[in-house]
Amino acid sequence: MKHTYSLLLFFLLPFLPLIAGGHTISGKVVNNRNQPVKGASVYLDNTIDGGTTDSVGFFSFTTDETGNQTIVASEVSHATAGQPIVINGDVTGILITLKANMSRDLDAVVITAGSIDATNDKSKTVLKPLDIVTTAGSGADVVKAMQMLPGTQQTGPDNGLFVRGGDANEAAVIVDEMVVQNAFFSGAPGVATRSRFGAFQYQGVAFSSGGYSARYSQALSGILELNTTDLPDKSTINLGVNMAGAYASGVKKWKNSSLDVGGGYTNLSPFYEVVKSNFKFYKVPQGGNGNIRYAWKPNKDGILKVTLNTQHNLTGVSIPNPMRAGADTLNFLTKDQNYYSNVSYKQMFKHKYMLYTAASVSRNKTRSEFSNVFNMDNVDYRNQFRIEGKRYMNSRLNLLVGTDVQNFGQERTMEMQDSAKTIYKQDFNEVLTGGYAELEWVPVNRFAIKPGVRYEHSTLMNVDKVAPRLSMAIKTGSHSQASLAGGMFYQQASNFYLIAPFMNGYNDLDMQVATHYIANWQWSQDNRTLRLEGYYKKYDKLVLEEGAATFDPNTYRVLTPASNITLTNNGSGYAQGLELFWRDKKTIKNADYWVSYSYIDTRRRYMNYPTQATPTFIANHNLNVVGKYWIDKLKTSVNATYSFASGRPYYNPNIYNVTDHSNFQTEVTPDYHSLSLSAAYLRSFGKWFTVFYISVDNVTRQKNVFGYRYGANGEMSKIVPALYRTVFFGVNMSLSEFSKDEL
Amino acid sequence: MMKKHILIAATALIATAATAQDFRVPLEKTFLAFDTTMDMKVKVEQANKLALIAKKWDAEWSTHYYVAYSKAQLSYMEQDAKKRDAYLDEAEKEREDAVSILKKDNDETYVLAAMIANARMAVDPMNRWQKYGELFTQNLKSAQEVNPENPRMYYLQGVSKYFTPKQFGGGANAAMPYFEKANGLFAKEAGVTDIAKPHWGKDKNEYFMEQAKKNDKG
Repeated sequence: MKHTYSLLLFFLLPFLPLIAGGHTISGKVVNNRNQPVKGASVYLDNTIDGGTTDSVGFFSFTTDETGNQTIVASEVSHATAGQPIVINGDVTGILITLKANMSRDLDAVVITAGSIDATNDKSKTVLKPLDIVTTAGSGADVVKAMQMLPGTQQTGPDNGLFVRGGDANEAAVIVDEMVVQNAFFSGAPGVATRSRFGAFQYQGVAFSSGGYSARYSQALSGILELNTTDLPDKSTINLGVNMAGAYASGVKKWKNSSLDVGGGYTNLSPFYEVVKSNFKFYKVPQGGNGNIRYAWKPNKDGILKVTLNTQHNLTGVSIPNPMRAGADTLNFLTKDQNYYSNVSYKQMFKHKYMLYTAASVSRNKTRSEFSNVFNMDNVDYRNQFRIEGKRYMNSRLNLLVGTDVQNFGQERTMEMQDSAKTIYKQDFNEVLTGGYAELEWVPVNRFAIKPGVRYEHSTLMNVDKVAPRLSMAIKTGSHSQASLAGGMFYQQASNFYLIAPFMNGYNDLDMQVATHYIANWQWSQDNRTLRLEGYYKKYDKLVLEEGAATFDPNTYRVLTPASNITLTNNGSGYAQGLELFWRDKKTIKNADYWVSYSYIDTRRRYMNYPTQATPTFIANHNLNVVGKYWIDKLKTSVNATYSFASGRPYYNPNIYNVTDHSNFQTEVTPDYHSLSLSAAYLRSFGKWFTVFYISVDNVTRQKNVFGYRYGANGEMSKIVPALYRTVFFGVNMSLSEFSKDEL
Repeated sequence: MMKKHILIAATALIATAATAQDFRVPLEKTFLAFDTTMDMKVKVEQANKLALIAKKWDAEWSTHYYVAYSKAQLSYMEQDAKKRDAYLDEAEKEREDAVSILKKDNDETYVLAAMIANARMAVDPMNRWQKYGELFTQNLKSAQEVNPENPRMYYLQGVSKYFTPKQFGGGANAAMPYFEKANGLFAKEAGVTDIAKPHWGKDKNEYFMEQAKKNDKG
């Protein structure tokens, strides 16, 4: 018996390591702060002998390997590390130190100066479609939603984004890298209209309030960038009716392409019916629109998009005469036809190269009748082309190089309604060419730098400009970073002047320039963002009208040869300010709120200003508190926005001193307050997904005043919005392709 | 008599040593150990083992497939958002390894890509549903083109529907047809026992069918 056992042992001996393992290897895995790392995989390289660390970082496993080996530890949040060991018996007390995986432990550094990152996802997107439609007071208008962010002025009587001291025409709206010529519907002077952009046409909206990329120019202030959606998920039909009209659209999705056709009819009668309007609309704003969009993915990394749309509108309103103060009103009729087309193609090659090219043609025709003053036919157009390439050297370095051409102009015929029936015909045609290069480089994990340069040439004025741009960011902690941005931003004289007859020629004009210096600090963690930004902006060579005998405060005036002006670049100014933004989607479940505050100090001499002054569209303090709450049980979202702006300056001829220009635009209006509420209720009727929505702007009917006009005899009239309070409701229904084919 | 026993024991040992060279045995054992526990600690251990198996049998696409699967599952169970993304980075890398061995995607790697996209979305649904929801759908569509009979594809779709709020077209009722379809296909797959050919999901699908039945009024 004994004999057999020993025989058995003898037989089994060579296999014992396979059963029990030869040697025990044990030790501990810690991070570089000497804290244990649990769940780490510790193994001998090129074998399957290994173990996992426990909660105190301890590991132990057995192996039959001997001699020189490499022991490796890896853990998901750390960089893998190895060290040599020699096994000729049990090995204990091994200590392996793992460094935290930088790329995950720290959020990637992103340059944020100038551009607002309201989301926590590391894309450029600021507000997503749903963010926009659920912002009370925005009326689902992309541009209006931007006015709830820092750096912009509250809605006034005029269209446009007034960014950090800049006039409306100093901020550009860009769709798929193409400049939009007429971002807003035409309307009567002093009656703000909507922008042409609905929230759901765009997959992302990015807003830069300064220091933007070398890709763009011709905006002294900033850029609002919209990117149209790519291929939709599935075929859908969408129908809606609201107080401003009705619309219908359909998307047909094929495997690699889609066609989107839509149309609508707008009539604001119900809108102006339910609340008392400050102006009389004898032709309520009405019109129609149509659009076609085609998208095609010829391969996995390429996409072609073609968009065509047209919008037609008619408005007749009796407005307070902007030429004079007092009780008199005049009838203003405007008929507007807008055509826009855009083709773009983007292709990635092996994740190493990106090619993007786009072309766009747009044309806008407006007939305006200022009863008893003049009739005006105006055509403006813009043709543009861009091609750019990006080379990704590696994940930390890429180079963008591109060129763009803008051809735009205007043709205008004015028939004065005086006894002479004088006719003025004016036009201009300009070609701007540009080239740009921009390098994005992340030399180390915590630092990113983006230098860029842009060259541009104006054919009309025959000038060449080189604009350097630079931005950079550095991590100041695992959730915070500081950024700097700056550069020079050129902009030609606005169309208002390019078409105006002036005594000197275009060759005497130079480009206006703004130099930006921006610093920001941002903290962002778990759906909470705090952002502080300060800036200083210097304006030079602003276009100035010289030669006029008296100051005309009417911002809707039209220059004719009779105006007898000389244009110079003698204007200048500055803007400086501090901005704060706090967004929190975490603290309260199902709630999202943000607070945005902007302080600005700015003065400039431009247009027909006799001296430097704060423009009439500037409020020194702007505050927005935006809240959204989703009530799960009721399937309802309720939203509220409170907006505040301090008073705006206005011109009072009774105190203005013509000789020394003192007291020019020094009086200020009362503060602006507005509380807006909105709610949306979601439910399905069979296969139809339905949203009912209602919104009330300026619930308390605060009688906001944007300025005053003075008449020759000292009489004064208030500049007020068309409506103090607005009420808007509607319903949207959508039917998605029934997904039976998935089964 | 005793000699005979010894011989048997020895042969058995030699046989074990020989089969240990085949990746299927440790792979199946480790995968089952991973997939049948809800204990996070054990899951991490077994996932680590799966990773070692894939290192050793580097040329087998299925070894990488299971590592990717295990990392995606760990991501769902993890609380820390950054760690969840880090797991998915690893899952994506292993999935790519599997695909490069196969030369091109098969239905299982597409299903895996859909699962990873879904897990990415789950980290931050509010900000990510748009991008990753589309990736999820796309990959399942691609899987369907390769093999319309893959039950895991319908199972994943069912689970996604099940957790989608009713007003957005989800809920137990909407999910049921997918689970039923998957169930039929799982039955067809019953004969598959080779671990190198992924065939997981039958029990899970049955569990969700039960849940969906219970909740079909809600």
